[in-house]
Amino acid sequence: MTVNSNESSAASPVPHEHVIFTDLDGLEGVLVDLNTKKYYQLNETASVIWRGLEKRLPVADIARELTERYDVTLERAVSSIDRALHHFKAQKLIAT
Amino acid sequence: MNEPELAIENSRYGPRRLTVELTNVCNLHCSYCLRDEDALYHSPAHFFPVELLSRVLGDARECMQIEQVMFTGGEVTIHPAFGEIIETVAAHGLKCSFITNGWHFERVWPVVLKQRAAITHVAFSLDGATREAHDHWRGAGSFKRVVQALSRCWANDFPFLLKVGIRRDTVQDLERIAVFAARMGAAALSFAHLMPTSNDIATSLALTLDERAEAEREIALLARIFKMRIGIDVGYYNTELASPCSALSGVSANINYRGHLSLCCNLSGYRGGNGEEDVITDLNHEEFGVAFARLQQVAATQSELRIKALTDLAAIGAKADLTTGSPCLFCLNTMGKTPWDSLVQISPLTSDRQTLPLLS
Repeated sequence: MTVNSNESSAASPVPHEHVIFTDLDGLEGVLVDLNTKKYYQLNETASVIWRGLEKRLPVADIARELTERYDVTLERAVSSIDRALHHFKAQKLIAT
Repeated sequence: MNEPELAIENSRYGPRRLTVELTNVCNLHCSYCLRDEDALYHSPAHFFPVELLSRVLGDARECMQIEQVMFTGGEVTIHPAFGEIIETVAAHGLKCSFITNGWHFERVWPVVLKQRAAITHVAFSLDGATREAHDHWRGAGSFKRVVQALSRCWANDFPFLLKVGIRRDTVQDLERIAVFAARMGAAALSFAHLMPTSNDIATSLALTLDERAEAEREIALLARIFKMRIGIDVGYYNTELASPCSALSGVSANINYRGHLSLCCNLSGYRGGNGEEDVITDLNHEEFGVAFARLQQVAATQSELRIKALTDLAAIGAKADLTTGSPCLFCLNTMGKTPWDSLVQISPLTSDRQTLPLLS
């Protein structure tokens, strides 16, 4: 997936208010959906992405953070974000 | 159809234990709290000394054969030496648990994880299964903090239980609260009747005898339905003559934040209370063993008082009212902890409570 100029400035989806994130150790995290009472364990990457969503960062900014933290290309980072957003949306954790 | 019996712990009174109040202060302001308001918010903060804890644990282990310590407050996680407190328990080969509002749980989590072998579980206070219900009593952000604390425990397989007061607002949501607790992964859910600290609280929040009985039946039913352990703390209507609780049976003792040995954590520093008959001595100046012997005398005397009240009523075919039938309310009333309720007299010679008219 390639980030174009429109997507880079596009607002990221917003986490639902009924979803609570807990940072476990500065790396991984846990989400609780208070509507369904389900837990979701997030790995490091997913936690970084979620934190970016909470801060309302554009996808491009979140992708850049991933490239700074990990040895990945921007393209790979965006792909990870895309996959994560797909999962978050499927579980109704973020607004579509 | 038979009424389900109230769930009773496998060990009737639980393990032999000390309850220790780590501090008098709390960061929240729950209006129904049973702790003295001055102690919580207007007095200098006292923190239970680690050295005193070490001494009394050693002594209590010897003369009382305690296996566990339960920490309460105030809010225990505020204690600046919380880590050392837990380490001290571990050093004595004992186990502990603590009750917390969860607000500062993130701060103590590293200690809790490190000493998890010495901690049987953490108990979180909960006022409802929703943000609105819980934060109504505990302030904005409290529910989120508790859920985050539960999340930590869940992610690390750390056992926790939820403690919920039974009041007018919560009694309608018992099942919903049970579902929430079960889904959050609680090992247990423990309900407890509100212990009123004023006439206003008694009339607006506390349940009547019949309402309490209905709530207790519902809790017993939930205990049968759910796999998660569900129970109700001592304080429920119980007219059996056998010791109704760990305190009166000598299985537990309480030490307040000043180091004073007393009968029970429910009675200690009771909001609005006058009496100090439950306090035995200052352990900063007296040995635990000697003090514990006197505590047992107080427990025995209180037990006799309760038995007499119940048998007197039974002898005339009268049903015990709420204050006599609830062991906690009985002790509160007879130990001068509820002076605001002093206008309500319990006459053993009649089956009705007599309420004197308020004098202007």
